[in-house]
Amino acid sequence: MSTISIAKTKPIARPLALATRRMLLAYALVAPVVIWRLSTSVYPFLRTFYLSFFDHSPVRRTFDYIGFENYVAMTRDTNITASLTFTFFFVIVSVTLQIVLGLGIAELLNKRFRLRTLARTVNLLPWAIAPIVTGTAAVWAFNQDFGLINDIIWRISGERPLWLVHVTNARFAVTLTDAWKNTPFLAVIFLSGLQGIPSELYEAAKIDGSDGARSYWYITLPLLMPLIVSMSIFITIFRVLSFEIVYALTNGGPGSSTSLLSYVVYLQGFRVLNFGYASAVAMLLFFIVLVIGILGFGVLRRTWDRL
Amino acid sequence: MINYGLRRVVGNVFFYLLLGVFMLIVLLPIYYIFLTAFSPGDQLFTKPLSYLPRSLAVERFRDIFNALPIARYMFNTAFLATASTLLAIAVSLLAAYALARLQFPGANLVLVGLLASSMLPGSSTVIPLFQMYQRLQLMDTLQGLLLLYGSGLLPVTVWVLVSFLRQVPIEIEDAAKVDGASLFPLLWHIVLPVIRPGLATMFLINFIAGWNEFFIPLVFARGPSSKVITMALSEAQLIGSSTQFNADWGNVAAVAILTTIPVFIITFLFQRQIVEGITNGVFK
Repeated sequence: MSTISIAKTKPIARPLALATRRMLLAYALVAPVVIWRLSTSVYPFLRTFYLSFFDHSPVRRTFDYIGFENYVAMTRDTNITASLTFTFFFVIVSVTLQIVLGLGIAELLNKRFRLRTLARTVNLLPWAIAPIVTGTAAVWAFNQDFGLINDIIWRISGERPLWLVHVTNARFAVTLTDAWKNTPFLAVIFLSGLQGIPSELYEAAKIDGSDGARSYWYITLPLLMPLIVSMSIFITIFRVLSFEIVYALTNGGPGSSTSLLSYVVYLQGFRVLNFGYASAVAMLLFFIVLVIGILGFGVLRRTWDRL
Repeated sequence: MINYGLRRVVGNVFFYLLLGVFMLIVLLPIYYIFLTAFSPGDQLFTKPLSYLPRSLAVERFRDIFNALPIARYMFNTAFLATASTLLAIAVSLLAAYALARLQFPGANLVLVGLLASSMLPGSSTVIPLFQMYQRLQLMDTLQGLLLLYGSGLLPVTVWVLVSFLRQVPIEIEDAAKVDGASLFPLLWHIVLPVIRPGLATMFLINFIAGWNEFFIPLVFARGPSSKVITMALSEAQLIGSSTQFNADWGNVAAVAILTTIPVFIITFLFQRQIVEGITNGVFK
């Protein structure tokens, strides 16, 4: 670290006074960020934890300590179990789709062809659109009679499936919309990962007689693996936290078959105005994210060690 | 040799086929939003859909501007996206300078704490914030929203700026001499010019995220003085004569266009910087 060497070499007239002054300056410099984050993130989070042990509702005018009752109530709440089931489905399908398609798109955009820059810009468009716009447009796209998706399916197969009123179809509708919106982001990351692989490796493989598929399997994938693993963790957490697409496309329905936990928190907090219970659901959400983060970090370390 | 040439042709055809399918999947839905926004009402509900415009109607845009305070929403959106990014970068630069250059006890705690706080889900902080905002009368104010928009940007901004500053050679600023008085000129005249390209890419990314924000205003904005353009989407469903879907999709599509055009323009103009910004956030 360069700062250390400077601290050692410079002649210091009044070491204590100067060191103290510099320290105070440092604290003054970090103070705005720290205070801003403490008041808008850390404190409200701790307060949510506290509220989760209360029966607290501004409508019923209650603020009573009830211990773990909110948490116990969650285990019996079919909205929560439905939400957890969908979260699991959503994460597995959407993350798998995004990783596979993201790798494919990155590969396409890494080839040399005319208008490549334009194609790369087009790839960014779904990323740039607001999630709420994507979700709202998807309502229209998945409409049974006049939607874009059913029009294409009808032209191919003559069928017009119902999307948003069937549990499984609604789940796929949310998942596909999410994958459309977010795969390009991953493709950008993987593309820059591909560009970081030295081309000599591929040339050496060519001399050894390896063709495209083999060198992809033995060179590209292993070198991208740490990136694939870390991005899987990252986008898994983002899937668990997502809100807008469900809010706009299905309202969590039919029933609560597509409601993610953020949406449950929003409903309980700002529609039902059940602050205590909503806080408990929020803590469950935090706990899930924490577990994914810890497990993911462990996997990531093992991946790095194997390299 | 013929075999090799044939394989190359087949490979090329296959490549362009895949590329074409990919482009179609991305562009068709976007094109269809545009088509819906500019189609006269009676052409929205046809079976099968018509993919080419038979006539263009712009009165829908006049309708939504008449029915909703769109201009005010746009202003609020642009203000929040710009101001939150600038403010977050300004305070983050101060903190990042201290973290990268001045040694002080607790520096690591601040860095790790910031990262950890960025893991806290928005929905796990929103209820106490809502109560706090009601008590402090920050509900429905641009200042209140600004604080929340900016807050979310701080952790990543600080981390990226620290990594930028560590790449700036320390000789050019002679950090040993820094005290409170010389700090701001130094940051402004020496540090800022060096990291300006990095700052510009970060600004673009944060601006787009701020422009697209929906959850924060959904909870904390109540009226035209603080509502943003993403909230006009659901409001547009309620204006005009209701169709069989109780929603005029043309109006919704028109708002979607107004929301999307600015970020598309930015994306087309700054494709390279945006890609750089995305990868900076991930790899640093």
